[in-house]
Amino acid sequence: MIEVQQVSMVYPNGVNALEQINICIERGEFVFVVGESGAGKSTLIRLICREYLPSKGSIKIHGRDITRLKRREVPLLRRNIGVVFQDFRLLNNRTVFDNVAFAMQVIGSTGRDVRKRVPEALELVGLTGKAKMKPLELSGGEQQRVCLARAIVNQPALIIADEPTGNLDPKTSMGIMDALKNINIRGTTIIMATHAKEIVDTMRQRVVVLEGGKLVRDERRGEYTHHGC
Amino acid sequence: MSVMSGEGNILIMAVRNWVYYIKEAFRSVVRNGWMSFASVGVVTVTLFILGSFMLLNINVEHLTSEIKNQVEIIAYVDEVLTRDEVDDLRVSLIQMVKVEEVRFVSKEDALVRLQEQLGELVEGYSEEGRNPLRDSFEIRTIIPEDIPEVAASLQAMTGIARVDYGTDVVEKLFRFTGAVQWVGLAFMLGLALTAMFLIANTIKLTVNARSREIMIMKYVGATEWFIRWPFLIEGLFLGAIGALIPVLILSYLYGETVAWAQLNLYFLPLVSPETIIQQMSKTLLILGTVIGGLGSLISIRRFLKV
Ligand SMILES: Nc1ncnc2c1ncn2[C@@H]1O[C@H](COP(=O)(O)OP(=O)(O)OP(=O)(O)O)[C@@H](O)[C@H]1O
Ligand SMILES: [Mg+2]
Repeated sequence: MIEVQQVSMVYPNGVNALEQINICIERGEFVFVVGESGAGKSTLIRLICREYLPSKGSIKIHGRDITRLKRREVPLLRRNIGVVFQDFRLLNNRTVFDNVAFAMQVIGSTGRDVRKRVPEALELVGLTGKAKMKPLELSGGEQQRVCLARAIVNQPALIIADEPTGNLDPKTSMGIMDALKNINIRGTTIIMATHAKEIVDTMRQRVVVLEGGKLVRDERRGEYTHHGC
Repeated sequence: MSVMSGEGNILIMAVRNWVYYIKEAFRSVVRNGWMSFASVGVVTVTLFILGSFMLLNINVEHLTSEIKNQVEIIAYVDEVLTRDEVDDLRVSLIQMVKVEEVRFVSKEDALVRLQEQLGELVEGYSEEGRNPLRDSFEIRTIIPEDIPEVAASLQAMTGIARVDYGTDVVEKLFRFTGAVQWVGLAFMLGLALTAMFLIANTIKLTVNARSREIMIMKYVGATEWFIRWPFLIEGLFLGAIGALIPVLILSYLYGETVAWAQLNLYFLPLVSPETIIQQMSKTLLILGTVIGGLGSLISIRRFLKV
């Protein structure tokens, strides 16, 4: 489903963030991208969202090279990718329901669809009953669930999460991971960048390890702590 | 069947989007009440000055063209020319490209005219051989601005003794009206740019306040125009309101001025309100909306680069 081929990324300021990366991800996979701070995890994720263009190489999603997309095709790509951020990025002056509905409204969904799918998404992430609250009245974990609901509400084939548990304590993090696992079981591909070893180790999913911009390890059912042999 | 329903959906979607754009635009106008007020104020003030200047300029132009159209060249014919030679000269004058009309005034006619003006003072010159005047041509050009040039070429022609067209007055007048128009144009351009800069900054503030929203919209796949329209409508609206206010004020003031001038300055030929106000309103409304629209497009451009 996703083919990252010979991708290198040099930022305009000369930083060499990724070198010659090759990754192939199948539909329905759950993939962790791990590595130390500055290893290039966020860069890889931004390239897959078409936030930046790679300096070299190609990234294919559903067989389509997204580095060749026209400017006006980028929104259509994004509709197929749900993004979750470490810092939630919610609209604090709107209710939980409106935050999730917003993602549907801006791509022109009908009111009927919104009223049907927003509660479904909230239920899937375990937020039933909190629809009328504002983000700042929620705990960090709950805010991240709202973000997750927003990412899945348009039923994308792919969810990308950049350190979704970075601001959460271990117990809350595991709750988010359960929600992600649930979404994955329903067939959605998930790519998640993190440096939380405990999470990676307990989930036992595919692990891609970056080090200084290079891919040093790619392991099915892997553990983060395992590398360095 | 399925195609039909597909088209229906697109139509419903478009209508729903426009409802959203307009609602968002007005929400933003209200939410940023003071900034909206300030940008409307800025556009109002600039377009008021610009509009006043326009009214003034059109009237100055009208006035000068009234004067210009009365200006003509008088070319005095050399006394040695025979009637036939004078006729030839007339033909060659008529054939000049920039000349509109050539009138021959014989020295007898000229004397009659002079006597009508001065009466007894010039009596006694009527007898054959005592007329001190010369035959002349009175020439009008197609464009008044060509007068100096045509006069110069007439001066060089054989058979013409002297050319007269009130050199000083005409040249000064042309130079003055030309300058007025250029200064006016530069002035108006400067004002329009200032207004646009100010409205761009105003809308930039509202865009800044909503940068988070815009970023999220981009991430969930909103198209650039979906993001842009509400801001564009906001700008167009603020610009149009900013133009409407000076249009109303200036229309009223100009009507009053013309009414007053007709009573008190009846010799001053002002342009009638009907034509000039329509022209001014059109210009100001177009300028206002363009300024507002461009301002908002400029301020949102940076945020769309993700
Ligand atoms: N916008 C940018 N412009 C220039 N350099 C950048 C930019 N973003 C990241 N970098 C650089 O690229 C390298 C990789 O950064 P990246 O954010 O991908 O790392 P990361 O693995 O996500 O780190 P962390 O775990 O701290 O989030 C770093 O050296 C960083 O300084
Ligand atoms: Mg990062």
